[in-house]
Amino acid sequence: MKKLLALALILFSNAAAAQQAAKVDVAVRQVNDRRTNGSFSHLMIALDLPQMKSSEVAASRVLITSAVDDSGRNLRDPEAQEPELEANQRLSMGIKDDPPMPASVSVMLMNPDRKATKVRELRGEIELLMPAKDPNSVAEIPKFVSTSGKSISHRALKANGIEIALLTTAQIEAEKNRHAEAKKKEYAELGFAGEELANMLTSFLESLFGVDETELLARIKDPNKRIQQITYIDAAGEVKPVMMRDEEGLVYLSTWAGKPQVDWKMRVSMKTSKNIVRYAFALNDVPLP
Amino acid sequence: MRPALGLCFAFLLAAGVEAQTGVVLELEDVVDNRVSSADPGGFQVQGGLELRVKVNGSGMDKVTAARVIVREAKDDKGTSLVSKPNVPDFYPREYNNGTLQVAVGQPARNATSVRMKGTIELYVPSRDPGASVKIANALATLDKPLSAKALKAAKLEITPLSREGYAAAAKARKITEKDIEQLRAEGKKQGAPEKEIELAVALAQAFEGMDDDVSDTAVILSGETSDFDRIYRIEVLGEDGEPIHMTSRGTSSRGESSLMTLNPAQPLPANATLQLMLLTDKTRVSVPFDLKVPLP
Repeated sequence: MKKLLALALILFSNAAAAQQAAKVDVAVRQVNDRRTNGSFSHLMIALDLPQMKSSEVAASRVLITSAVDDSGRNLRDPEAQEPELEANQRLSMGIKDDPPMPASVSVMLMNPDRKATKVRELRGEIELLMPAKDPNSVAEIPKFVSTSGKSISHRALKANGIEIALLTTAQIEAEKNRHAEAKKKEYAELGFAGEELANMLTSFLESLFGVDETELLARIKDPNKRIQQITYIDAAGEVKPVMMRDEEGLVYLSTWAGKPQVDWKMRVSMKTSKNIVRYAFALNDVPLP
Repeated sequence: MRPALGLCFAFLLAAGVEAQTGVVLELEDVVDNRVSSADPGGFQVQGGLELRVKVNGSGMDKVTAARVIVREAKDDKGTSLVSKPNVPDFYPREYNNGTLQVAVGQPARNATSVRMKGTIELYVPSRDPGASVKIANALATLDKPLSAKALKAAKLEITPLSREGYAAAAKARKITEKDIEQLRAEGKKQGAPEKEIELAVALAQAFEGMDDDVSDTAVILSGETSDFDRIYRIEVLGEDGEPIHMTSRGTSSRGESSLMTLNPAQPLPANATLQLMLLTDKTRVSVPFDLKVPLP
């Protein structure tokens, strides 16, 4: 029995090793130990990945498995949620990578002890979104504004099971009416009636699906949560960041860059099983400032 | 809740009917922002110790502005955090709920507290009847120094500029190749890294560019930097005698020459009055402080 158990352990550990992420070299670019009795207390360590070009990484996150200072204090926040992929600002703002810069990531930890002089161990995995690794990473839809009312057709969207359709003014009105009917029923079931019910419905509809000229309302189906980011690109190639916000099952696409123009492109960046790459890293004895 | 970390009791040196007594420096937040970088000349790599403090006491309703001058700051390991006293501008009490920011150098990593000594300075214009100078029709004559007995007595010369006068002043302040060479030479002399020197050059050029960006409705005042340093604030008064709201204010200095720009939120009346609030010896109340700051 013991032999069987040992064999099982060996087989299991080999299987685990086969799934382990490849190692990547990292270099510490900056350490910021922000200590305060107020808000935003943290230890931030910025790492460069000299073997990776910043231009090839659309987003990144760091999953820490161990972070300990030389006083023995655990620097991982037990209450912290798993970090989200963070967009590469240089890339999403369209900043030219000239001269080429290494990819960089940052790690957020808790403050070390004041008496500590270094981070004894920092270990974990760096997850990179590298669009070039999958031809279905990005969908670019030229003149997307003119597609309103129809589902946007694109090979990469289809491959990722994503459906996007921008709503026309008539469709927004129809959505409003549909929601109004549902709300009316809901309020009536709660016992509201007459003028009170009418006032409540009016106030509900006033705030529903209000779209200004910088916003578009879309119906987006993304069952596998593949969409990483949506941006617009104007005729001159300038990238315009887009914020996404859900409301009653529809998605607001808004930008500070003004009203989307007819000659703009929409770029949808997606996470796929091929373009998400994990690398293991380990650092020892990182001096503290 | 953000508890006050400590209180520093200071003693009033000046006395009077409206005197400020029991002046207290209340410590709100302490930020020890420690930074190290593989690129010391890069962006945002300068750390330091920053405090947010409030000045409290009786008679503070008469205090228009305050500032904290740190003359000495030492951590408990003996590291001095101030090379020379930094004298900030007076900060209006009405801003930021009266909270002041104090910045010194970086304490030792293993230090646990810092002791700071210096003075709290209060600006109390009601202590000097001559501190408020009002000049009627001040903008009727441009490109000539403002005329007022009180200004003459204070040896202050401030000139409201026309657009032409401003263009000429801005041209005279243009940064030349020689100026840039001097800036680079000075940087090298002080041992500043190349990146830092180039950043300083870029900043100087960017600030100069701001001189070109003046709206048509702006009030522009010219004078010597040392004169502007003796003025707390300049207001433009409307016909009701109340200050007209300014959407922005700025002073750009180059050596001894300064230009102040006030951008009013509404058109100015033709007979607008300028009010200069002067920083005279009588208007200032100095209170020593001695503060122990526990480090987070």
